[in-house]
Amino acid sequence: MLSTKLSIAVGTMAGTALFGFLFFLPVAGQGQEYDVLIKNGHVIDPKNNIDTIKDVAIANGKITKIDNDIPATQSKKTIDVTGLYVVPGLIDVHTHVFVGSKADKFADGIYSVSPDDFSFKSGVTTVVDAGTSGWRNFPLFKEQVIDKSQTRVLAFLNIAGSGMSGKPMQEDVNDMNADSTAFVAEKYKDIIVGIKIGHYEGSDRSPFNKALDAGKKLNRPLFVECHLPQYSLEDQLQMMRPGDIITHSYEQVSERMPIVDEHGKVRPFVLMAQKKGVLFDVGHGGAGFWFSQAVPAFQQGLAPNSFGSDLHRFSMNAGMKSMLNIMSKYMAIGMSIEDVVIRATWNPAREIKREDLGNLSEGAVADIAVLSVQKGKFGFIDAGGNRLEGNKKLEAELTIRAGKIVWDLNGLAAQPWKQ
Amino acid sequence: MMYLKRLLHRFPGRTIYIMLMIFCFFVAGILNAQQIDILLKGGHVIDPKNKIDEQMDVAITNGKIFQVAKNISPHQAKKLIDVTGLYVTPGIIDMHVHAFNGTDVDAYIANGLTSLPPDAFTFRAGVTTVVDAGSSGWRNFRLFKKQTIDRSQTRVLALLNIVGNGMVGRYEEQDTTDMNPQQTAYMIKKLFPEIIVGIKAAHYWGDFTQVDRAVQAGDLANVPVMVDFGEHQPPNSIEALFMQHLRPGDIFTHTFSYGPAVRETVVDDSGKVKPFVFQAQKRGIIFDVGHGGGAFSWRQAVPAMQQGFQPNVISTDLHAESMNSGMKDMSNVMSKFLNMGMSLQDVVLRSTWNPANVIKRTDLGNLSVGSEADIAVFNLRKGDFGFLDVRKTKLKGTQKLEAELTFRAGKIVWDLNGISAPLWQEELKKK
Repeated sequence: MLSTKLSIAVGTMAGTALFGFLFFLPVAGQGQEYDVLIKNGHVIDPKNNIDTIKDVAIANGKITKIDNDIPATQSKKTIDVTGLYVVPGLIDVHTHVFVGSKADKFADGIYSVSPDDFSFKSGVTTVVDAGTSGWRNFPLFKEQVIDKSQTRVLAFLNIAGSGMSGKPMQEDVNDMNADSTAFVAEKYKDIIVGIKIGHYEGSDRSPFNKALDAGKKLNRPLFVECHLPQYSLEDQLQMMRPGDIITHSYEQVSERMPIVDEHGKVRPFVLMAQKKGVLFDVGHGGAGFWFSQAVPAFQQGLAPNSFGSDLHRFSMNAGMKSMLNIMSKYMAIGMSIEDVVIRATWNPAREIKREDLGNLSEGAVADIAVLSVQKGKFGFIDAGGNRLEGNKKLEAELTIRAGKIVWDLNGLAAQPWKQ
Repeated sequence: MMYLKRLLHRFPGRTIYIMLMIFCFFVAGILNAQQIDILLKGGHVIDPKNKIDEQMDVAITNGKIFQVAKNISPHQAKKLIDVTGLYVTPGIIDMHVHAFNGTDVDAYIANGLTSLPPDAFTFRAGVTTVVDAGSSGWRNFRLFKKQTIDRSQTRVLALLNIVGNGMVGRYEEQDTTDMNPQQTAYMIKKLFPEIIVGIKAAHYWGDFTQVDRAVQAGDLANVPVMVDFGEHQPPNSIEALFMQHLRPGDIFTHTFSYGPAVRETVVDDSGKVKPFVFQAQKRGIIFDVGHGGGAFSWRQAVPAMQQGFQPNVISTDLHAESMNSGMKDMSNVMSKFLNMGMSLQDVVLRSTWNPANVIKRTDLGNLSVGSEADIAVFNLRKGDFGFLDVRKTKLKGTQKLEAELTFRAGKIVWDLNGISAPLWQEELKKK
């Protein structure tokens, strides 16, 4: 009995080995140099001026080749994306993701949200936190969220030492220190991309100047939120340097003068600021985006430079929903898909001086979004609860982060199950 | 007349005039009343409890269901929403989630990063009530309540873990000295009977000790027990679990998981549903989907459905490892069952009225007049869709549920396409 079993075992082993060898041979012969091949998609890569059907090959988490008709035999895995758009992983420059358990707080609190809960399902692979933390609590933010997220999380550091920690702490001028802010920003320069000013109700100019000062020391952009009711819009735009970013560009609230006047005209000084090089971010949020501002502004040539969502607890289920939804809004307003993609990828990458991102250059990290354009009757809501109708809507079919599939809406990358 | 005379005597002149005016306004108000806050018009209502499955209008007033009937006049309503072509159902109940989100970076699910804040996932999928499946135990439930339950717009109910520390980590979950039926029952019955609707036993590597303690607590508190029954090597018998250890009304979750080395499956190797599984369901054992990141396989679910074995309850097992994988959200899991051949009516039943009954919260999961206006409005999309299981194989499908509009206690908390909103150009004209 024993010897029979043994011989069966030996036979099985030999068979397995032979099978394994035969299986291995053709594989080795073909040289599958790519891990994943995304085939037949319409690639839009604004940095590299690509806007046509191409194949994208990924190896070791990087973009390895973009070409016409790369053979499927050269890749371990091939995903057919015929009829879909292949774009660089989207970058959302305005989010609040310093999520924690403190009630009624953005910094380390429940008003912030967790990046992975929202990013991949809308094609986003990089988010920039808009000053939820300051130099005092950035290390906690890093430990608690940034290091634990699959999404790439970058940050604007708030000039307020404890970031968006609520009143009165976040408005304490004595806790706004350009040197400490610059020091921490420099220490974490791979993550911190700029300085943020917002949430100050006094008329004292020192907070703005300190933020500018830190930005100058670092040669980094300043990100200007609203909530500065004592500073006029004109003053803010005047103090800003080329490359600095104003967000909530299309809001219509009492705390900041709207960019479009009561006759529906973009104010001349706003257009001048744009000419000077000030960048306009959407910063949709719960209150920051109104069709009554955005539509006339777009028609008069003031399109946003980036589609920052201002993702947080109060925008996630409102008109904002996701950055992809904001992109769809702009398609409904009349922007071409090419113009939408550049504002979601290469523009924000340059805005935050991270030109390694937002493109599909060979050698770049393989952060990729595969999008479908749904056709139908859709509606979009603004912060005022008003609706704009459209007939197209973007949907994230597949999201890849550093070569890894992190979202697959309809199982494009999967094999059918067999009974 | 006598009354009027006396009145005139007491309130002469001007006062009586004012009173009459007020009275007239009051009467006019009743006659002309827009008694309805919001009217959902033209939708196909599926309300399994009340056996409604046809086109009906639904009226909401003061956060409650005011009327469900054909052709309710829009003149009675302050706000009218046309939902023609859409399905109107009770707010969906997701009976299996992990929502004890916190900042303990070393913890697993209790107060940790694997749990998720519910509002980020619920309304966009039509869900208005979630049941946390044992993320907390009696030692840390109060923290969970303070941190998440009390701060969420979603109605958050909970199953209390039989382990006092809940799901802090796998090793802590093995500690039988921290499985205290009396403390667990006490917390449910005496302290939080409105929130805690049952008990959870999960992730235990040993014998039936954990399940038996949970059932003991369930007897003491008169609530059901949900069991995640895996991670035993070799697997413990699920027949023994269903027939000897659990009571009718107790819940077996992760019904369609496939990991035969550590977890006995409901469908055998030849693709047949084990006969005792049907008997167990007949006996009253509740089968819950609990999809999760590792607990739903087509090779189990499809044959089961083909052989007439349907889960009693559809649920997600929402957590950080399932949210971006094959699970995604509740409407996606519901859509999977549609595409396996379950009728829409059955899908809705298993996501509303069934879970409401299982957790003994029959005030939920229905559209009876007077109940809280938790409502989901779905669009049934037609097209080519694919659905992933946890083993990354896909089932192709032709229909997909999408949450268009979600109400929580009469308030619009999700509106995908702005069907409740006015056109922005109209707002401009008003200026």
